[in-house]
Amino acid sequence: MIGLLLALHLATCGLLAATGRELGRHGLLVAALPPSITTAWALTRIGADEPATATLGWVPGLDLELAFRVDGLALVMTLLVSGIGALVFLYAWGYFGSSAVGVGPFATALIAFSTAMLGLVWSDSVWSLFVFWELTSITSFLLIGHKHADAEVRAAARRALLITAAGGLVLLAGLVVLVDETGVSRLGEMGPISGGGAALVSILLMVAAATKSAQVPFHVWLPGAMAAPTPVSAYLHSATMVKAGVLLVAVGSPILADVAVWTSLGLIFGFGSMLWGAVGALRHRDAKLILAWGTISQLGLMIALLSIGSAKATFAAVSILFAHALFKAALFMVVGEVDVRTGTRDIGELSGLWRTMPLAFGVAVVSAASMAGIPPLLGFPAKEAAIEAVLGLTGAEAWLVGGGVVLGSILTVAYTARFVLGVFGPGPEPTPVHPPRPAMTAPSALLAMLSLAGFVAIGAVNPIVGPASVRIDPQAEVYDLLRWPGVTTAFLVSLAVVGSGLAAGLAAHRLGSGAPDPIGARSVDALIDGVVVGARRLTGRVQHGSLPVYMATMGATVAVVAAPFAWSIDGADIYRWDSPAQAVLAGLMLAAAAVAAVLTTRLGAALGLGAVGIGVAGLFVIQGAPDLALTQLLVETVVVVGFVIGLGHLTRRFPAVGQQWQAVRLVVAAAAAIGVAVALAGSGSSPVGQPPLEALTTQAVEDGGGNNIVNVILTDTRGLDTLGEIVVLVVVAIGVLALAASARPREAS
Amino acid sequence: MSGALIVTVAGLVGIGVYLITARSLSRIVLGFSMLGHAAVLGLLAAGGPAGAPPLAGAASDPSQPANPLPQALSLTAIVISFGLTLFLLALARRQNQITGDDLVEDDLEDRRIAAVDPGQRDYVEESAA
Amino acid sequence: MIATRSPIVQLGIRAASPIALVVAVFLFFAGHNRPGGGFSAGLVLGAVVALRTVAGMSRPIRAVPLLTAGGLLAGAVAFLPMLWGDPLLDQVVVERSIPVLGAVKTGTALAFDAGVTMIVVGLVVAVLDGLGADDLATGPDGGR
Repeated sequence: MIGLLLALHLATCGLLAATGRELGRHGLLVAALPPSITTAWALTRIGADEPATATLGWVPGLDLELAFRVDGLALVMTLLVSGIGALVFLYAWGYFGSSAVGVGPFATALIAFSTAMLGLVWSDSVWSLFVFWELTSITSFLLIGHKHADAEVRAAARRALLITAAGGLVLLAGLVVLVDETGVSRLGEMGPISGGGAALVSILLMVAAATKSAQVPFHVWLPGAMAAPTPVSAYLHSATMVKAGVLLVAVGSPILADVAVWTSLGLIFGFGSMLWGAVGALRHRDAKLILAWGTISQLGLMIALLSIGSAKATFAAVSILFAHALFKAALFMVVGEVDVRTGTRDIGELSGLWRTMPLAFGVAVVSAASMAGIPPLLGFPAKEAAIEAVLGLTGAEAWLVGGGVVLGSILTVAYTARFVLGVFGPGPEPTPVHPPRPAMTAPSALLAMLSLAGFVAIGAVNPIVGPASVRIDPQAEVYDLLRWPGVTTAFLVSLAVVGSGLAAGLAAHRLGSGAPDPIGARSVDALIDGVVVGARRLTGRVQHGSLPVYMATMGATVAVVAAPFAWSIDGADIYRWDSPAQAVLAGLMLAAAAVAAVLTTRLGAALGLGAVGIGVAGLFVIQGAPDLALTQLLVETVVVVGFVIGLGHLTRRFPAVGQQWQAVRLVVAAAAAIGVAVALAGSGSSPVGQPPLEALTTQAVEDGGGNNIVNVILTDTRGLDTLGEIVVLVVVAIGVLALAASARPREAS
Repeated sequence: MSGALIVTVAGLVGIGVYLITARSLSRIVLGFSMLGHAAVLGLLAAGGPAGAPPLAGAASDPSQPANPLPQALSLTAIVISFGLTLFLLALARRQNQITGDDLVEDDLEDRRIAAVDPGQRDYVEESAA
Repeated sequence: MIATRSPIVQLGIRAASPIALVVAVFLFFAGHNRPGGGFSAGLVLGAVVALRTVAGMSRPIRAVPLLTAGGLLAGAVAFLPMLWGDPLLDQVVVERSIPVLGAVKTGTALAFDAGVTMIVVGLVVAVLDGLGADDLATGPDGGR
């Protein structure tokens, strides 16, 4: 079934890629089909005893496989990815007017993201997890950059891609170490680990999670990502993709819970983001940015709760994960509707919408109340569980953790109140409103109703979040979400939180605020610019376009690289010559080479080249290589004839060279010569053994059917190389013929 | 290892590098030939001392036969450098037909890249255009 | 200007051509047991062609057909064994007695070598064409 569903997604993706331009925005309705079917399947899986699994071989030789496993946690994520996904597709159909352009590719990218995200949450093999993780980053980049004509949008998309893709590389490093430490590549089979390797894994995975889930200080890409069309913000940047980091922390918890770095890093990221995100949400005027910063804050809360490591906190984190997706997606949809129907998202310009957009207002109030943790909505029992979890802690950090969660909750209530008041509240003059768009209102209203239904029929939610928590921590089995906990300490704290939060929110609304400068985003952009400029500067330096200088650089590199061989030279292994004739011949040949190099006529140089070739052939004979000598002589003949035919009639003399460059050439040539001598002497000092003459001889006669060992090696033992060699010759011939052919029309004219 | 061969190889490399840093393609062809010779001789020298030709059945030769493996590798090297040299010759010839000379000019595109002021921030606009 | 139309040179080359042909054939068959082989044989033939070109004599072969035939032959020997499941370049060894050379153990490697020979000769001819040997052959002013 898993394979079928993924195939269905992929097929839809291909269909839209092929026909997207004709279908236009109706492609979005087609794209809603696979998520709907997946949601229906996921609903039937609730309460299933065994996780659904599927395995696809990928590269069996490397133990690479695509292993999928839909357990309780994956099921929660599936419901979010596909359930909210189907609604988002419907919403996007309403969001884009019939005249909107580029909706076809948009729909393709969106369903591609759905596919990748499903693959990510279903992955059991760490390798498929990584692949799908990166695919979500790429599709997110495409979706953020939908309005790519705008430079700001492009910068935002680039920022998001660089941060999340860099995080993906960190993830890969972490997964490699993790597989090395645990010995298995399936997440479900990994046991707890500890020690230095585990600490490294913890740091890498936590940083990867922080980039994906926009945790401080990697959060800067998320506010910029609000440049995407609102359906994308509702889907990727609140409900699903940003939850991938939380998911990673969740599946990492059973493996790394005992590692101190894991817990402390998670708490630092989590609480830092929860508080800083809430502050950001209180400062911004753009309704979408308020929600984005709120998302950073809420994701921080989830990661912090998961990092605490107690079963109750884990349970609370999963509950908030589920509730958050419902209310945050609905709120984004409302903001998108406001944006489309009024033309602005600035809470300073909007006024009186509670009267002119009553349905959206209702959805916003219900969802915002769920976000603030007010009954009778799903956010309330989830928030209660979180407060209970931190109140139940003991030890030195209990106060810190508890205080952090309470403070974060107060700020959450405050920015929620400010959001509702700012967008819908009364003002001097009501904002003009375009006619309603039911296709946009319906999905958000459905989500708001789910927030309500989740509280009323809480018995239906427990079988969803319960198994998910148990997947992370088996001890979470005993917990349930409660509609009415009674007057407990947690409830009283909750009451105080809501009260003080509302007061703070009202105060913030009265106070008003300017749009703060996005400090982090600017510095990231400056960093990227710096890299690009630096790369240009470097390219300008090294790619100067002068062939002689490139060649000299290579020669100098040879000299430098060879230098270390000087230490392995052993004088005892180097003798004067194999025979006196060798030395004499070598001397003559070098003399001929030097003459060929300094002769100023081409014909003379060609003759010198021939002399050198004959000398080399002589050396081959002395070395005991008649085959080489024969081949060398024949090759040299043809080359010299070619040289004379091709270049002999050129201007007779070589052009003169500048004095300075001449000096550089000589120095580099001498250095390269010394370097090669050193390398050769060094390698000659460390013989690795005698050649296997016996074996080679036997093989030549019996297998190759010949007595000439060298030729049998060439045609038989290394036959494939010889085949490659003649391919080179054919390619050279084709190249030469092509050059000649390109010359012909010119000569004819 | 034979000192005479080491000196020979080093000398050929020196002369080869000197020649390929010239601007004339004819000299670059010469230089490549020298470097090819140097590589083959180096390979042989590294393969062991000189000896009798490695022919099976030629047992009458009392001396130790030479190592056949580097010889087989060298044959391939000779053939490839042969092909490379011929192609360079054809290139030089073509260059001569076009410019009347065989000098390698600086690559104009590369000069352009090197000349661009790296401080200017127009690359975003460029990539969009 | 390099091509000397000396009758003596032409006569020498004319006389050398058949001898070179014989040498090439010898090298071709000797390769398996003694120095030589398809590559050397091709180079000898190529050298003859080059000499004839320089001397302004007729050149009976063209590059493209030679290259095509050689490539097809070598490729066939290399890849055909794969059709019936043998490894690439698998050899069939046959033993024959040939005059002058004596017992020659050989097989499909010989066909492969023949392909190599053709490719080498083809390459030399192509280079002679590419380097504008025709201009030389027709005279100092390139016949234009």
